[in-house]
Amino acid sequence: MLQCIFLLSDSGEVMLEKQLTGHRVDRSICAWFWEQAISQGDSFKLQPVIASPTHYLFQVVREGITFLACTQVEMPPLMAIEFLCRVADVLSDYLGGLNEDVIKDNFIIVYELLDEMIDNGFPLTTEPNILREMIAQPSIVSKVLSVVTGNSSNVSETLPGATASCVPWRTPDPKYANNEVYVDLVEEMDATINRDGVLVKCEIYGEVQVNSHLSGLPDLTLSFANPSILDDVRFHPCVRFRPWESNQILSFVPPDGQFKLMSYRVKKLKSTPIYVKPQLTSGGGTCRIDVLVGIRNDPGKTIDSITVQFQLPHCILSADMTSNHGTVNILANKTCLWSIERIPKDKAPSMSGTLVLETGLERLHVFPTFQVAFRIMGVALSGLQIDKLDLKNLPNRPYKGFRALTRAGEFEVRS
Amino acid sequence: MAPPAQSQRSPSPSQPSGKGEVSDLKSQLRQLAGSRAPGIDDSKRELFKKVISYMTVGIDVSSLFGEMVMCSATSDIVLKKMCYLYVGNYAKVNPDLALLTINFLQRDCKDEDPMIRGLALRSLCSLRVANLVEYLVGPLGSGLKDNNNYVRTVAVMGVLKLYHISASTCVDADFPAMLKHSMLNDSDAQVVANCLSALQEIWSSEASSSEEASREREALLSKPVVYYFLNRIKEFSEWAQCLVLELVGKYVPLETSEIFDIMNLLEDRLQHANGAVVLATIKVFLQLTLSMTDVHQQVYERIKAPLLTLVSSGSPEQSYAVLSHLHLLVMRAPYIFSSDYKHFYCQYNEPSYVKKLKLEMLTAVANESNTYEIVTELCEYAANVDIPIARESIRAVGKIALQQYDVNAIVDRLLQFLEMEKDYVTAEALVLVKDLLRKYPQWSQDCIAVVGNISSKNVQEPKAKAALIWMLGEYSQDMHDAPYILESLIDNWEEEHSAEVRLHLLTAVMKCFFKRPPETQKALGAALAAGLADFHQDVHDRALFYYRLLQYNVSVAQRVVDPPKQAVSVFADTQSSEIKDRIFDEFNSLSVVYQKPSYMFTDKEHRGPFEFSDELGNLSIGAESTDTVVPAQRVEANDKDLLLSVSEKEESGGPSNNGSAYSAPSYDGSSVSAAASSQMLSELAISTVTGHASQSSLAIDDLLGLGLPVAPAPAPSPPLLKLNSKAVLDPGTFQQKWRQLPISSSQEYSVSPRGVAALTAPQTLLRHMQGHSIHCIASGGQSPNYKFFFFAQKAEESSTFLVECIINTSSAKAQIKIKADDQSASEAFSTLFQSALSEFGLP
Repeated sequence: MLQCIFLLSDSGEVMLEKQLTGHRVDRSICAWFWEQAISQGDSFKLQPVIASPTHYLFQVVREGITFLACTQVEMPPLMAIEFLCRVADVLSDYLGGLNEDVIKDNFIIVYELLDEMIDNGFPLTTEPNILREMIAQPSIVSKVLSVVTGNSSNVSETLPGATASCVPWRTPDPKYANNEVYVDLVEEMDATINRDGVLVKCEIYGEVQVNSHLSGLPDLTLSFANPSILDDVRFHPCVRFRPWESNQILSFVPPDGQFKLMSYRVKKLKSTPIYVKPQLTSGGGTCRIDVLVGIRNDPGKTIDSITVQFQLPHCILSADMTSNHGTVNILANKTCLWSIERIPKDKAPSMSGTLVLETGLERLHVFPTFQVAFRIMGVALSGLQIDKLDLKNLPNRPYKGFRALTRAGEFEVRS
Repeated sequence: MAPPAQSQRSPSPSQPSGKGEVSDLKSQLRQLAGSRAPGIDDSKRELFKKVISYMTVGIDVSSLFGEMVMCSATSDIVLKKMCYLYVGNYAKVNPDLALLTINFLQRDCKDEDPMIRGLALRSLCSLRVANLVEYLVGPLGSGLKDNNNYVRTVAVMGVLKLYHISASTCVDADFPAMLKHSMLNDSDAQVVANCLSALQEIWSSEASSSEEASREREALLSKPVVYYFLNRIKEFSEWAQCLVLELVGKYVPLETSEIFDIMNLLEDRLQHANGAVVLATIKVFLQLTLSMTDVHQQVYERIKAPLLTLVSSGSPEQSYAVLSHLHLLVMRAPYIFSSDYKHFYCQYNEPSYVKKLKLEMLTAVANESNTYEIVTELCEYAANVDIPIARESIRAVGKIALQQYDVNAIVDRLLQFLEMEKDYVTAEALVLVKDLLRKYPQWSQDCIAVVGNISSKNVQEPKAKAALIWMLGEYSQDMHDAPYILESLIDNWEEEHSAEVRLHLLTAVMKCFFKRPPETQKALGAALAAGLADFHQDVHDRALFYYRLLQYNVSVAQRVVDPPKQAVSVFADTQSSEIKDRIFDEFNSLSVVYQKPSYMFTDKEHRGPFEFSDELGNLSIGAESTDTVVPAQRVEANDKDLLLSVSEKEESGGPSNNGSAYSAPSYDGSSVSAAASSQMLSELAISTVTGHASQSSLAIDDLLGLGLPVAPAPAPSPPLLKLNSKAVLDPGTFQQKWRQLPISSSQEYSVSPRGVAALTAPQTLLRHMQGHSIHCIASGGQSPNYKFFFFAQKAEESSTFLVECIINTSSAKAQIKIKADDQSASEAFSTLFQSALSEFGLP
């Protein structure tokens, strides 16, 4: 049971305070929290659960805004953290982004939302569709409307029908002139390549994102050509469990608009689309670095937005890095960033340079880890393929669109 | 209302300076209050917004209460909402003015629009002013019967709020029964869920006073109710599902078939998008199958994939919470996760506390088939930029080596570490090689070849240096230049700051002497001489002891100092299995994140490391309240270290009779200031309070006191000892006596499991001992280590007994030191104390 929620700006100012129960939580807890945050630095920022002298605090940081929840009683920690994440999601959805100004400008809406999302410390509803019907979004349209009609209430006149319906995630009876549904496969590849160049771990985390604009109460079935490759799946509440259990078919009544239909994991992949080969030789107070990048396994589509970056070790005096393709930048936080974009046909990109070590240091003892990023449009590297999408209960033929995208997640190469 | 911290914060540009604006607003509101001009709502809205933004930044605008209420007569719903917000915030400090709002809120509760009815009811219940409860009963009653589900959900929560303001009003109005009826009959799932949460709370707190309520609470866990919820679970919102799952977790099925029914019904919850639901389901599964070993096993298999997915998806905050739970499960059943070891590989940019959890898991899941790969991976971390993690990973390699039978490859790796030229890597590796040799003496040949090459000059850390010296002593017959290395170390005796290293040096040179006397004799002489002149008590004592031992008989000395050793089979575990089980029982709670059961951290008043017994409450409590802010885990660690170091020092200060060599009792101000970095400062607060004033005279007292142990011949066994039940002793006197008196008895008892269980906080023991006329002067500590100072007085005369009692609940041991005015009675008192302690925990 949460007792209070605070929103703090990135300078530690309390932007919003929402007391949830009779046990008032004094604001001084935020001051305590902020002092700790300053004195302990980043490591504190990363701790989701903190014990203060009086309360247990949960924190979630999004775009510089700290969402802080307090409790004095035992509760499932994930429930609090999940809830704060949802609050952050809903707010950024409502306000079109999260930052100090937007929250300060719209704090009435934030209060209203929190009021409906949690009562007496227990989360009520966090379903954006329902909330959107209870409290109108501060969109430009509504601003124009309010000027024209003079009615500036942002609270809808009627209560949301969906609260009573059996598909709480769906607005009852939306109407569209053009019925459209888009299905995107978005995958992230996590890979670790060790010092000997061996791929020790390669895994894909993927999501099926759907954007649906369909009238009425449509019933969709989505099937994959090769569902057996999926290791573990998680579904949006709208997915019916039995058809998946028996035939690996996703059968669902979609929410309106953008949502995450399912997420999945595919493990034990055998290769990566590109290779990154760092080579370090050090001696005599300097360290020479050579990094080669090339295509290992052509996915058949262009690989773009390729970057390679690594943290320069603390024990160096200067670094001089150049490349034969793309640009190399040393950023303020001592990160060396090499942007390659696309791999040219005629040559293999390489970056090389020399690090000058601190005086007295003969050789480099700390080996940097290279983090690689890339993006491939039009391909799901896990090999997952959508077989077909059937729509029922629709007045006219809808437009169906499919896309796929793979990008690098935690892709790291050790040297 | 404005918090004191406000002033320290830099004012943002949007923040008004205060007073002037508030009075401005006041007059503007007053003007608007009576007006009925068109468009008035818009200007009101602007003003309200201003008021609320002031309230939000922490400026006290409660003085506008009257005006706000006057302006609240409006049909505009946004205005109403802002007004409700304002009223809810300030009603508690303005109970009289709050009465003004009742009227319009009650009217709104009968509005046509269900939204307004709901909002008004919620605000009405949020006023939380005790003398207004009578106005709540009516609207709540009709709210519960409202035909709109939104109003009903609000009303149910309202009942709970009413209960917290005035329990008797709530119960007298028969609301719990109405809630029960709604819970079982309402068509709306959210109403049902709210009823459940409200009833759980109401009945649990009523249960202590009313038998009926406790019966009702039991009934919530009865089969029909639980099944009613289970069958509807898909209708509930995800948060309500968590609530229901929690309830199901407490249900004890009567038959095995039920268990399978429930698990079948809930299986798809494991695939839910909300991590909280997944974790709650896992808890249900684990609890249900606790007694069925093989099914429990299968449950682990089943929940493995969802947990691993949860870790890799979601925000870092979520994955940390999940990871903590995964950590718990991995530690319980490592073999089940051994094929998924790659999931525990550390990523470069993970925060180090995540890496630490992962390293522990990697250590746990290592088995014959994956050891090689895990160790290879761990070795890569040794070159990590993050030095604590690099150290941690070397330790992990060592732990794996200690738990595996086939250590071939690992020993090679460790030896490679020794050859890396990084001092912290060498240091950690040395400590590990030492432990390894204690367990696998057969590896000595290989290790010693490498260890022999390490120059002792490159090893600076005391622990590593001690390990190296230990090996030099232990294997001096195989290491060619062991005596000479030792000799050079002894030459630098003065520069060696760590007493631990000097102690090891003494022992090592002794061992070396037994094996290669001619080469070591000179070094031994130098070491003993240096040791005898050492200012550290332990070092001095040990040197003296060795010296006399050698004088007495060399072969006896060898049997004492260098006996043939048996290989260590198992190193002691740090956390008792009982505690681990407790944490497991509290799966899906904060306990898992903190890695300790809730009784160790939840009750706030018990978290303070030090508390005086009640009558001494006025003394230096301040130190506690400011210092408790250290996060719980660190508190414990410091606690442990400090307790140990304190007791060590006392031992050294106590029974020695070499008065001339020894400077001051280690229990004085200097040791306190060394420990001052931790909050355990307060532990010794009494000593500093009195210590400063009387320091100079004490040194003399102490020397005199030291002569005392040559006690007169023990008196004929004393009659049964009677204690004064109303003994008094002020902390100053206690402290003085404690310094003056020698230890008359020092013992270690084991505490009964009941006692351990009852010792959840220092107070429990205090009360118990008081019943035996043994009073507490100071206590402190935190599970598993507690420390107490007791005193008692004889019934007839004013002879006092002082006791220091250190209880470690995880090893169930109590160390007791008794000092007494009357040495002859100390034996009797010791027996008495022991029997009192052993009765602790008995009902």
